[in-house]
Amino acid sequence: MKKAARTSKAKQQSWSDWVRERDDPRIAHTKPEALDDITVLDLSSKSFAGCLCSSLLAEFGAEVLRIEPPEGDFLRICTPYGMLHKGEGLNYLTEGRNKFHITLDLSRPEGREILKDLVTHADVLIETYRPGIMDELGIGYEQLKEINPGLIFASITGYGQFGPMSQSRMPDYDNIAQARSGIQSGTGEVMPEGKSYNECPWAVPTKAGSWIAWSVAGAFMAVGILAALYWREITGEGQALDVASGEAYARLDDYAALWYYDTGIIGERFGNLDVCAFLYCFAPTKDGAVFLGGLRLEMWQAFVDMVGKWDEWGAASWTSLAPFMQREEQLKWASLIFEETRKYTNEELVRMSIEYAKKGRLAPITPVVAPVCSPKEAMKDANWLDRGIFIPIQDPLYGELIAAQAQHKMTETPIRTKWVCRPVGYDNEYIYPKYLGWRPSKLKELKQKGVI
Amino acid sequence: MAKETWKNYRENKSFKPPPLKGIRVLEVCTILLGPAGPAFLGAMGAEVIKCEIPPRGDTVRQMVPFGHFFRDQAPAAVHINTNKYWLGLDLHKPEAQKIFCELAAKSDIVEDNMRPGTMERWNVGYRQLKEINPGIIYISKNGFGQWGQYAEENRPSNDGAAQALSGYAWMSSFPGRPPLKSRLYVCDTYGALMGELAVLAALHYRGKTGKGQFIELSQTENIMRTMSWIWPYQQITGKVARPTGNRDVSICPADTFRCTDDTFVAIAAPAPEEFKGLCTAMGKLELAEDPRFKDHLTRLEGKNATAILKIIAAWVRTKKPEEVEQLAEHYGFAASHVYSSKDVVEDAHFRERGFMTNIDDPVLGPYDEYEFPVMMSKSPPKVKWSVRAVGFDNEYIMKHFLDKSEGEIKELYQCGALGKWADVQGCRPPSHWDGKAGIIKARD
Repeated sequence: MKKAARTSKAKQQSWSDWVRERDDPRIAHTKPEALDDITVLDLSSKSFAGCLCSSLLAEFGAEVLRIEPPEGDFLRICTPYGMLHKGEGLNYLTEGRNKFHITLDLSRPEGREILKDLVTHADVLIETYRPGIMDELGIGYEQLKEINPGLIFASITGYGQFGPMSQSRMPDYDNIAQARSGIQSGTGEVMPEGKSYNECPWAVPTKAGSWIAWSVAGAFMAVGILAALYWREITGEGQALDVASGEAYARLDDYAALWYYDTGIIGERFGNLDVCAFLYCFAPTKDGAVFLGGLRLEMWQAFVDMVGKWDEWGAASWTSLAPFMQREEQLKWASLIFEETRKYTNEELVRMSIEYAKKGRLAPITPVVAPVCSPKEAMKDANWLDRGIFIPIQDPLYGELIAAQAQHKMTETPIRTKWVCRPVGYDNEYIYPKYLGWRPSKLKELKQKGVI
Repeated sequence: MAKETWKNYRENKSFKPPPLKGIRVLEVCTILLGPAGPAFLGAMGAEVIKCEIPPRGDTVRQMVPFGHFFRDQAPAAVHINTNKYWLGLDLHKPEAQKIFCELAAKSDIVEDNMRPGTMERWNVGYRQLKEINPGIIYISKNGFGQWGQYAEENRPSNDGAAQALSGYAWMSSFPGRPPLKSRLYVCDTYGALMGELAVLAALHYRGKTGKGQFIELSQTENIMRTMSWIWPYQQITGKVARPTGNRDVSICPADTFRCTDDTFVAIAAPAPEEFKGLCTAMGKLELAEDPRFKDHLTRLEGKNATAILKIIAAWVRTKKPEEVEQLAEHYGFAASHVYSSKDVVEDAHFRERGFMTNIDDPVLGPYDEYEFPVMMSKSPPKVKWSVRAVGFDNEYIMKHFLDKSEGEIKELYQCGALGKWADVQGCRPPSHWDGKAGIIKARD
């Protein structure tokens, strides 16, 4: 009887309300953290991939000791247009979150001994030095596993730990990884007929604006680390992990390699249309552009119906999307579609799609219509504000700051941002006594020597 | 580098167990955002059962570059369906829902990317499954999440919508040009990857407490997270962040340049020794001491960055990409020609590492594929097989996972709960299939 009553109550509450009550980021601080038993040493250097990797673990509650040389990591001054906020570069600021920032000079033997002491307390070590450097310093995987056999030793580099290019002197940067992935070459505007690069310097292979290759490399490594932790729970063994940033980003690619393997065709730039999907494009409108999507025939038909071309374009007779996917057909249909979308504003097209889902001939099927927003518009969008992604973080050192957060929403162990960043060596006085039992005099001595 | 650790990694992979052996995943996903996540777990050794509505199955089966099928399969479907078992299960049917619940009782993870509430209407939503299996970890991925205005309006979404709404596309074009969609379904596959991060964190938590949970991921929110500086920049300056083409505004110099043969090379040289190396390579060592360029923060400022990039562009115009790469190697800065898909497939380094590899799939035959990009010294992930026809593994799953008899299986087919492929490209086996190859008889 009691159980039946509970069940009917659960039924009354809508799914969305039920979830929100349990995973709204605003209540995250009241819940436990998934990784609060894990300690991570992040030695990454000049690498957003490394910083993001340890941030992702820190968001889930891992205790991350971010270890920098005494002068600080170069990444701190990789910031748009050279802009600093309270002395900090903006990229580093957003991915310093929840970490304890300590310093240690690994170029000195004393510093390396201290690192070894920390390693005995650690589950994971993240590093981004060129392959071989850690080994030369006596703190490579094979040396550290003697101290701590359960250690998960995670290396993120441009070319990986083995293979002919692994000994390259070239450092790892996001734009290089994007170039090596094969994705940049296929992205960008198509050269208008009869024009040249001099006239149209924008009709070239175009990379993504964000540090996406570095982000993907960091995220893959974080996933690998958690899989290795699972493996360790079963076997008790640690291991070494190897991610190369260009490979990580390339792995997100889809059909391109197989298409080339099978046909010898090299995917060329196709602007805002899509080689592998129809209906799937950015379309110009009265006041900007919208994304149009409909990967099933019915969704494409619904779009045609929505703009009043059902009869004229003969939509009722279509039986498959396949003919529309050919290159020439895509170009032909794009110009017809754009002629229609230019008659409306972004908002009008979005509303038309929502209404079509209710009343259209093919309802509830409706095309995907989404306005192409500037990041300023995105940041003001009430939907995202409501969902808590831009809740300002009240940081004791950097003040009120907006950094995207809460991308995972979870009912039991939600991620959270406790603080955004800390200056170089800010947590030395807390972490060294906590882990190594140092007294104030020892801290002072090592600081004077420049080891920390 | 750890020479011993990585010795013969590629050759020895097959003899080592993958890290997620023993984890079972149920997938009710379509297109890319959904299926790519379980594929990552599959590559790491999890047992993934992909449920599709027969006879046509997943929409991705019709995603074909300019209409080209590969041995009757959609190339897009091949790449994101690693190591899965294929179940044709019509979840509209009560008998199929019951089967799903039986499978869920024996699984660790359930993944869907339906619109909010769909699974619950099919009686297999999280609230229903957790009654059967309280330890279940359930992730739902889509464009807008499970609640909020857009979710309530029941808007459909996909990768392009997320690229558009987040500002990601807007930031990825040249100044003064229209926003540009990436060729990559980046919000889908990166969303899928980040989803698995939460799943594995939840698995760790379950190991400690026995508790499962529900996870939601909006691919639009997820891609916003990678747009790091843009948000505090807009907050602090009150300005909108602007696109800058191939120039990286946080690293200088970092850009893509046109070579003498009209191909392209990316260069990065921000750290002091790297920048000095580049200046030396250009025969302009004095630039390294130029007050406009000497330190990184000054060099990043608008006018200075434009000036140094112009100098580099003029120099690269006289070089071939391989010359620039050789100089980069010699002087210790970073450079790479812009790889085409051919370059990626044929790259000797990728091959040697086993990142680009030839898969010998028992049904599809041999094909080139990217390996899972986290190399793990003791428990290497490995791509073994890919897409199968709709319902290809029905019998295996019914018999070995659920102990169903021949008679019970027959009934499930009769009522339409189970089904197999439609005889159309993308859904059926390759034409060369002999009716036997790839059918699983026993588990390893």
